[in-house]
Amino acid sequence: MVFFDLEPKSTGPSKTEYDVIIVGAGPAGLGAAIYSGRAGLSTLVIEKNIEGGQILLTDVMENYPGYGLINSNELAQRFKEHADMFGTEFDYGEVVKVELAGEQKLVYLDNGKAYKSKVIIIATGASPRRLGVPGEDRFISKGVSYCAVCDGAFFTNKNVAVVGGGDSAVDEALYLSRIAAKVTIIHRRDKLRAVKSLQEKAFNNPKIDFIWDTIVKEIKGTDKVESLILQNLKTGEIKELPFDGVFIFIGLNPNSGIFKDIVDVDENGFIKTNEDMETNVDGIFAAGDVRVKSVRQVITAVADGAIAATIAARKYFE
Amino acid sequence: MAKVLNNKIVNDLKKIFSEELEKKVKLLLFKVDDESVCEYCNLTRDLLEELKEVDERVELEVYDFNTDKDVVEKYGIERVPAIVILDEDGKDYGVRFYGIPSGHEFSTLIDDIVTFSKGPVPSLSAETIEQLKKIDQKVKIQVFVTPTCPYCPRAVLTAHHFALVNENIVGEMIEANEFMDLSMKFGVSAVPHIVVNEEHSFVGALPEANYLNEVLKALK
Repeated sequence: MVFFDLEPKSTGPSKTEYDVIIVGAGPAGLGAAIYSGRAGLSTLVIEKNIEGGQILLTDVMENYPGYGLINSNELAQRFKEHADMFGTEFDYGEVVKVELAGEQKLVYLDNGKAYKSKVIIIATGASPRRLGVPGEDRFISKGVSYCAVCDGAFFTNKNVAVVGGGDSAVDEALYLSRIAAKVTIIHRRDKLRAVKSLQEKAFNNPKIDFIWDTIVKEIKGTDKVESLILQNLKTGEIKELPFDGVFIFIGLNPNSGIFKDIVDVDENGFIKTNEDMETNVDGIFAAGDVRVKSVRQVITAVADGAIAATIAARKYFE
Repeated sequence: MAKVLNNKIVNDLKKIFSEELEKKVKLLLFKVDDESVCEYCNLTRDLLEELKEVDERVELEVYDFNTDKDVVEKYGIERVPAIVILDEDGKDYGVRFYGIPSGHEFSTLIDDIVTFSKGPVPSLSAETIEQLKKIDQKVKIQVFVTPTCPYCPRAVLTAHHFALVNENIVGEMIEANEFMDLSMKFGVSAVPHIVVNEEHSFVGALPEANYLNEVLKALK
């Protein structure tokens, strides 16, 4: 079980001004970096955690072409190395402010650094959405979690609930079923939205149970999570069931906070783009989960990045 | 002895160390031999031995937690395995790892080694450094992590870089699975979970300014 993942923070950036700055080193950002570097543009990728983005929240990928089954860390690392191949530079920190100054964009990091570029590609991805029920905030790290690979080990042989019915929820339930004593998927509809292959694995897993047509009304406990108050949407019936933990995977919120005042977003904060990944602001693109789109997968994020960088190269550097 | 690090990682490390390392860096490992007491002590020793082999600027001293009492006391080591990083002159900045730095935390260890070899110079904003320098009481920042948590390295590195600024500050990585009692004591069930001076805690890899605010809250 012990593994060693080397994601070295390569030599710091060589300069403070670039053709293209990409914010976020998930699939969209690294996809953009490959195309931007290959187009001969000087490219800086800024990442706050480690390369890979949401890839790292799952242990195995089975739907990225060319690999069959691949360990998620390995796929992330290959993306990074591929971007390195074309001379991409990296820096690490959280972008806290972006300013427009004519054709130039100024990007400020939480560690005090600042960079300039002509083009910005926003590839900041998305984060798990909160349920917004009583008890949720209070019990974070006391039984409430949004990351099975991070926190699964705290629920060894415990009884956990997974809220949601999409790919993430079912994938995480399958992961947790290897650790926990029992996993109960609580879903507000009468069938899962996850892809068929995941559904079949979940239905065939003896450790996974389902509660249909049901929402969580409240998370209860004294020092930590002890139970959930559930409501059946069809019958209206309310009941309380004991759980040691609850993993919430009901969808994504865009990581678009600092860009909201600069570019157009939809009512949920996802950044609006055209099919060339352009936002309403000249020289600012968005790619991947942070933008308005209907399919959020590694492969579609990578494609967004490729489109953004290609159009940027054509439009601003030819 | 089976190799802990595969060839690809060793080759990548060779490249990183040859490009990045400047001065020598000293790693102190505190361990016990008995695997029924410390499951990962021997593996951690093997890991650090292999790191030492990669580049001669990485030095290693191994101490026994039970018998080398004066060294254990000098560095305030509380449990094993523990790693302390010192600069070339043997100066202690309060950077600690409790538990094996495996998974994503292996990168944290490598980042720290590179940082120490280059100074160490904290990678923090001028405002943060100014505020940290003002702290005139002991601060212990314990960052609970799991090896599979991609958000955790950043939370650990922030604590470590805070420690570089002020000798009152100690920044510790704590592998939550290895020290379940401690995790239970502080009610850790989602990581990164940061505990400051054993009383104030927060969850998540916050941006630098917010992280600093949380640390300062424990001092009021």
